Amino acid sequence: MIIAERKPFAEIKAALEPYEKILIVGCGTCVAVCLAGGEKEVGLLASQIKLARGQNGKPVKVGEITVERQCDREFMQPLSDAVADYEIVLSTACGAGVQFLAAMPEMKPVIPALNTTFIGVNEEAGFYTERCRACHNCYLGTTGGICPVTMCPKGLLNGPCGGNLKGKCEVNPDNDCAWCAIYERLDRQGRLDLIDPILPLHPHARTTTPGAIIHPAYKRRYGGHE
Amino acid sequence: MSKLQEALAGGKFPIVVEIKPPKGIDPEAMLAPVKSLNGRVTAFSIPDNEHAKMRLSPVAAAQLVKAAGAEPMIHLTCRDRNRLALESELLGAAALGVENVLIVSGDFVNQGDHPDAKPVYDADSVQLLQIAKGMMAGHDSAGNELKGAPRFYLGAVAIPEADPLGPQLLKVKKKTAAGVDFLITAPVYDLTKLQEFRQKLGAGAAIIATVKVPKAAEVEQALQGKLRKVYTLPASVAQELKADDPAEIEKKGAALAARLLKEIKAKNLADGVYLKARGKGELMAAILEQAGI
Repeated sequence: MIIAERKPFAEIKAALEPYEKILIVGCGTCVAVCLAGGEKEVGLLASQIKLARGQNGKPVKVGEITVERQCDREFMQPLSDAVADYEIVLSTACGAGVQFLAAMPEMKPVIPALNTTFIGVNEEAGFYTERCRACHNCYLGTTGGICPVTMCPKGLLNGPCGGNLKGKCEVNPDNDCAWCAIYERLDRQGRLDLIDPILPLHPHARTTTPGAIIHPAYKRRYGGHE
Repeated sequence: MSKLQEALAGGKFPIVVEIKPPKGIDPEAMLAPVKSLNGRVTAFSIPDNEHAKMRLSPVAAAQLVKAAGAEPMIHLTCRDRNRLALESELLGAAALGVENVLIVSGDFVNQGDHPDAKPVYDADSVQLLQIAKGMMAGHDSAGNELKGAPRFYLGAVAIPEADPLGPQLLKVKKKTAAGVDFLITAPVYDLTKLQEFRQKLGAGAAIIATVKVPKAAEVEQALQGKLRKVYTLPASVAQELKADDPAEIEKKGAALAARLLKEIKAKNLADGVYLKARGKGELMAAILEQAGI
């Protein structure tokens, strides 16, 4: 899932400074799971904004609404009516959700409450780690299910750099060296031959932004070619 | 053919010394060892933003070394350039007659003085070796033909004391498959480790062993068992180097380097030596003298 974290409150507060009528729009999927932008976090943020404004003696009206997903038009329709009474929308979605929200017809200006960080996993409650860089060219089948593009900060495709120490990463000694981990797992599985071939240069052209994918079954609908 | 290639091919036990490009535009200190040692060593090696700290460009430094009448070796790091820039840099080096190129992944940007810089690693060291080989065959990495093929003598790094060793041997195997001509080791203080590593590598690229004058801080860390490096400085050796005055540690470190250099040569533990003495010409001269070179 997409992992995000809330921006420092001071930054949010400064961005909201000119406005008196603020609608906070939460997102009920990824950012709710990682405790950054779901219904509960929207409520906490609303309280924090009201408290801060109260301390400064400045009036504020804060509305709250959380939709299932801000990255899916299906769930966003109710927002068109909800924003009418507000001057500004504070979105607690990831960057994709913020942009989709901001592009809606009749939408008020939108500012983000989160910094979107990575595609990751839920290690334990409140503890998330990155796993995927969405590189368009998955290597996991030959690297023992450990991604060299993501788990190696250098994204090296042909073995470790010279900086690892006792299987720990040069960049952050708290992390395992991805290539030591790949080697160890494949060795255990008796599949080291998978990493013998030299992998070619990564096809970065595929990751030219902004990406777009049309599912093969929908190619005709969107005018794509088979 | 570079002098380094000639020396290694002829079993002449070349000495390569590392010089330090300036963080600025005055090359005088960098060139001091070139002026004092030229003729006594085979090549002068120029790191590429070593430890991710920005310094003068190795290709420009190589030209200055050549102008001083000596042979350069440039390092080329995958960290700072995409494939276009790496290839263009290689062409630039070749056009200036620089053949010796040491290809390195490069310490991560967070180790250096521009921690917010974008780390590139468009190619890794194995892929960059392949790219350079392809250029020697007359084409760039996209398959486009070059007008005039460059000539390189290509090196890469090997870590004799890597722990775990398996992944390191995999990497060296790939560097060899990619056509590396010589491997420069991480510093070695315990020569049995070098010997064991060489046996594991078997025949292949020439091995140039790094002899390094340890820093006072490294000696202190080794004594406390806290040295976090890809090489070990055995406690017994660190004990020998111990002194209150950093200058005394340096002097003892030079004597140690001379001893190591001599032994590597005498026992044929490597095909040549790469000397790291903080770019100090006088220190290098003292080491070479004590080693009888």
